Amino acid sequence: MADVSLARVTVDRDRALRLLQNYGVYGGVMVLLVFNFAFTAHFASAENFRTQAVQVAPVLIVALGMALAIGTEGVDLSVGSVMALSTSLLSLYLGYGPWIATLIAVVGGILVGAANGALIAFVGVQPIVATLALMVGARGLALVLLPQLKDVRNPGMAALGSGDVLGIPYLVLIAAALALLVAFVVKRSTFGRRLLAIGDSRPAARLAGLPVRRVLIVVYVCSGALAAVAGVLATARLTASDPTSLGTLMELSAITAVVVGGTPLSGGRVRIGGTVAGAVLIQLLTTTLIKHDLPPSWTQIAQAVVIVGAVYAARERGKR
Amino acid sequence: MKHIAPLRRASVRTLLATGLVTGLALTAGCAKSEDSSGNDKASAQQEDPGQVVASPSGGSGPSCTIDSYGGSKVDLKSATVGFSQSEKEANPFRIAETASIKAEAQKRGVKLLTANAQSQFSKQISDVQDLIAKGADLLVIAPLNSDGWEPVLRTASAKHIPIVTIDRKINAAACKDYVSFIGSDFVEQGRRAADQMIEATGGKGEVAILLGAAGNNVTTERTKGFEDRIKEKAPGLKIVFRQTGDFAREKGQSVTENLIQSKPGIKGIYAENDEMGLGAVNALKGAGKKPGDVKIVTIDGTRNAVQGIVDGWIDGVIESNPRFGPLAFQTLDTFTQGQEVAQDIVIQDSSYTESNAKADLGKAY
Repeated sequence: MADVSLARVTVDRDRALRLLQNYGVYGGVMVLLVFNFAFTAHFASAENFRTQAVQVAPVLIVALGMALAIGTEGVDLSVGSVMALSTSLLSLYLGYGPWIATLIAVVGGILVGAANGALIAFVGVQPIVATLALMVGARGLALVLLPQLKDVRNPGMAALGSGDVLGIPYLVLIAAALALLVAFVVKRSTFGRRLLAIGDSRPAARLAGLPVRRVLIVVYVCSGALAAVAGVLATARLTASDPTSLGTLMELSAITAVVVGGTPLSGGRVRIGGTVAGAVLIQLLTTTLIKHDLPPSWTQIAQAVVIVGAVYAARERGKR
Repeated sequence: MKHIAPLRRASVRTLLATGLVTGLALTAGCAKSEDSSGNDKASAQQEDPGQVVASPSGGSGPSCTIDSYGGSKVDLKSATVGFSQSEKEANPFRIAETASIKAEAQKRGVKLLTANAQSQFSKQISDVQDLIAKGADLLVIAPLNSDGWEPVLRTASAKHIPIVTIDRKINAAACKDYVSFIGSDFVEQGRRAADQMIEATGGKGEVAILLGAAGNNVTTERTKGFEDRIKEKAPGLKIVFRQTGDFAREKGQSVTENLIQSKPGIKGIYAENDEMGLGAVNALKGAGKKPGDVKIVTIDGTRNAVQGIVDGWIDGVIESNPRFGPLAFQTLDTFTQGQEVAQDIVIQDSSYTESNAKADLGKAY
């Protein structure tokens, strides 16, 4: 008798944890929204939601790439530096017009991603080490190209940063489109299946004849390209190229969004919806604390609590 | 699979290397950035020191003479001066600081040796030791850190080399380990910013502070000066918001966006550096505000911020003067002639408001 009830308790606990891991992030977002509607003055305005969406867009785009890298049981620490490199390149080539400059900035991100992928896939360096090297290198290169902050006066870039379609800012539209695209690729394409298979077990994927190296390189190229796009958007919003501070600690924000969103660091599973919600959760958390004028150190502590909670929920899966 | 791998690997590596090299070459070769009309002006304004030189012997604090420091009199004209800069000349402050030291050395006909520590403290220590080894008789140091200077100070004091530190202090005994410290009074900068804020807002309403990086003495001192002066002179002005913008434009912008939504009645924003103030201007523009709707006061005096006054977005800028050249050399000159100099010398910071911003734009760095 006792055995049966004990077993049921464990089952219930398992299910609760799985639910928490899968849907906890959405619950967190709901809790914060309800709290803000109740206690934060002027929260329920279109203008406010617009601001929050615009602020979260670059982090979200970077987190999409990060989710892919984490899905292969890797990580991409170079994303913040890629943003800096992208803003440097953008500023350097803006004389040719915003389209060409953006293209070159994205190509820069792709090159860094290719270098990351080559180190990981061909040389066999651990992802954390390979991307750490590129994180240092790309920031250095960005500062060599553009040593100090430079204003961006191009009207096209300014429009990208502050313009909108039917009240929805370009930044938000681009972020949403990229999120849908990445979600589609992960869920529906062969590439997405291969990516998850590699993340689950690389030796098994290799034995099954999957093109492991090619997939890995493409994953890091995507991550680099997405980070470069985020760098371009952040530059447009700031109307200035600031390689010294743009993207600093971005890798941590992105990893936080991915992990909080329920993607396990052990790979083999990517949750794009959760990643989006994770980025929104961190944004709302920061905003709530800022709007209530709590000391900035509280924001960091609150973020830490959320991360620990998310990792605790994810822990059970590894034990299975 | 395994036996063909090396071949493929090599070709892919070559391909990647070629790609990277071409990429770099292209980057350097055909870059074409936006035209910026400000550049030629920027080089022209370096000529104008724009500094009121306070007398180094003045002041009521403790002073120092060559007899109490040890060493012998030197003629500055025939001496070699070593200058160690702490950070890369990548921001306007450091650019103007180094340029000012170089210009003054040239003006006085003094031989100057320079070194830049690129924000690495160990490099700065070896830089200064190199300067001494290369024969510097006098040293001007812009320290990266306040602590850890013992090895350098020991070498310098063995040779009785006078040291003047600028913009940051080192934790050592003045007039024993070094002669004088020349710098800005950050608390006073905060007080003067408060005065401008009171004037701009009329002393009534709610204001916000964009704090600098946490745990930085510049942040705490600029905050203290501002808050004390507001409390003392304008009790009607309430500080309702204090959040960090980390001295960066992007953070200043995103924090201000949240601020103006949660507190639409805000009348003024005090930004503890120009960059955050410019971020606040971006946020106000994005929210559809007009110049002057929210009063902004910032500290530093960079060209962009002073231009902001001219455009009507910023109401006051308190300068943090980077032009230490004249004062540093005058201090060394006075000291080496055997006269007394103050141990703490405060550099004069000017300020910019609507009345002088246009005329003095050339003085901003």
